[in-house]
Amino acid sequence: MLSNSKRTVAMPLPLNSLGYAASAAGLAALLLLAPAARAEEDVWPTLKTQAFGDRAIQAEDGMVVLDAPLTAEDAALVPLTVRVPPQVAQKLKSLTIFIDKNPDPKVATLHFGPAAGKGGERSFSTRVRIDSFSHVRAVLETEDGVLHMASKFVQAAGGCGAMNAKDPDTENEGLGKLLVKTFPPALDANPIWSAQVMLKHPNSNGMQRDIDTGGYIPARFVKQMVVKRDGELVFDMESTFSISTNPNFRFTFGRGSDNSLDVAITDTDGTKFDAKSVPSGS
Amino acid sequence: MYRKRQARLSVPCHNFAACAARMAPMSDDKPRALCCVPCEISRQQFLRAALALAASPLLRFLPAQAAEGLEVSEVAPGVFVHQGRYELQSPENRGDMANASFVVGTDSVAVIDTLGSAVAGRELRAAIRAVTDKPIRYVINTHMHPDHVFGNAAFKEDNPTFVGHYKLARGLGSRAERYLAINKTMLGDAAFDGIEVILPTLAVENSTTLDLGGRSLVLETQRTAHTDNDLTITDTATDTLFLSDLLFSVHVPTLDGSIKGWLALLDDLAQKKAARVVPGHGPHAMELTQALAPEHRYLASIAADVRQLIKDGKTLEDAIKTAGFSERDAWKLFDHYHVRNVTAAFAELEWE
Repeated sequence: MLSNSKRTVAMPLPLNSLGYAASAAGLAALLLLAPAARAEEDVWPTLKTQAFGDRAIQAEDGMVVLDAPLTAEDAALVPLTVRVPPQVAQKLKSLTIFIDKNPDPKVATLHFGPAAGKGGERSFSTRVRIDSFSHVRAVLETEDGVLHMASKFVQAAGGCGAMNAKDPDTENEGLGKLLVKTFPPALDANPIWSAQVMLKHPNSNGMQRDIDTGGYIPARFVKQMVVKRDGELVFDMESTFSISTNPNFRFTFGRGSDNSLDVAITDTDGTKFDAKSVPSGS
Repeated sequence: MYRKRQARLSVPCHNFAACAARMAPMSDDKPRALCCVPCEISRQQFLRAALALAASPLLRFLPAQAAEGLEVSEVAPGVFVHQGRYELQSPENRGDMANASFVVGTDSVAVIDTLGSAVAGRELRAAIRAVTDKPIRYVINTHMHPDHVFGNAAFKEDNPTFVGHYKLARGLGSRAERYLAINKTMLGDAAFDGIEVILPTLAVENSTTLDLGGRSLVLETQRTAHTDNDLTITDTATDTLFLSDLLFSVHVPTLDGSIKGWLALLDDLAQKKAARVVPGHGPHAMELTQALAPEHRYLASIAADVRQLIKDGKTLEDAIKTAGFSERDAWKLFDHYHVRNVTAAFAELEWE
């Protein structure tokens, strides 16, 4: 598969806006096992109202599936995959992922464009930090305006304050390196392609200890990613600090003429990272 | 040579009659080790036995008496190792799940790692005091993990120099709150009581030599491998190399640094010469030539599988279900740590 993949590397803008010195980045460790009282509290009704008002949500109706580990071995790097099964024929409007108990429960919202495609299984994967045992939810809005939800309870804790890097001295090596790979479907008849986007970025959430200052490493994380195929929108994503260090996304898009992707990422410092995949079929 | 005081040592005895016949006068104030059927022998008897054993190519493991029942073995003259359990921390094991050692010189004692709680650290201290009255001048922490440092508080009364890799303070300091909270939960209140985060007062850059009188310890910082603050120690008198958690045996390795760095370091360590090595988790002592292979095989297996999966366009989710699982039956605690190891390896290797 990868032998067919395309990748380009884009280097970022100057990094002197970094809020911390590379050599000093003590990163760290703070919030842990949640107090039992907080773990019991059901915050979802409030979250739901904030995000969707009084709209009805169809839970576990099979239109959307969430894959998440029951227990996460590394709470700072929990893989999540949202899948829309192939029998779902409609186009998709939006997808929102929540981690109920995270300090900012909304992980990301994707607004899909015409190049998101249909006619096969569609999916979106990323890796997240989970702060305490929590429900994780994926709410999908289909073209007809109906909301569908899949959820999982994940036993993971401490992911938000956990260290970004095993070795802080190397954490910012290559910061801004952006890789875009595309994968054609196994069968030519399948109109759905997939892609991977990897960004070298600490995605600091402001909850990591800086041992050298006694304070916290300032928040700096990816807040927007726009993906276009052959100039048409696949999706426009707004995201929060729940995305793990070195943000990593896997997603599908509809087959086009060149299947060339443009990825534009903006972080909270306003730094932009851009990369383009090489035209396929060449 | 290293100890003027007549120490009482115990060795396993499988013949009760012979044991009783050889039994040296016992001191009633010291409970006997629970881990084996001990025979009290005098230092001279011990030395004679040791001489007899010296011809043996096998390493000798001679459990010594410990006041609080904490088993320690003298793996070489003046080098004592306590073997931790292959367990996660619990109220029952009090954080006694890593190896801890001490080396006795003519002037002073150095402790190498202090177990995972102040309670266990005090037991270790009592085991030292059962062997020698010399001052405990150095407490060396081989790296930042709680099962190696949370017993430090037990040695505060000795006013030692706490020694560690120069990156230990940052690593432990920035993780301290999380480590404390997790260990409070897992150890329970009784075993957690008294734990303090005590950072090094002597930070080692490159290498440092500590003189214990009649013998020296050479401390060397290592590249990022198990963690980014691993320290190795060589006792020059007996050529004993303490690898701490750069070497796991039986207990599955845990990756909290760099898999590439660790594999590269193992190649370097294999070139070293030592009479014996002491692992961070595993038996009291091992032969260097045989010790590293299983761990190298485990890490290499993960690296090879993860690289192939990445090459095939597979995901982290795929990797944590398959990579390195051929090693499953070879290690204790595999199910507790393996997936985390693969996750860390994947996150590192996908940027190659």
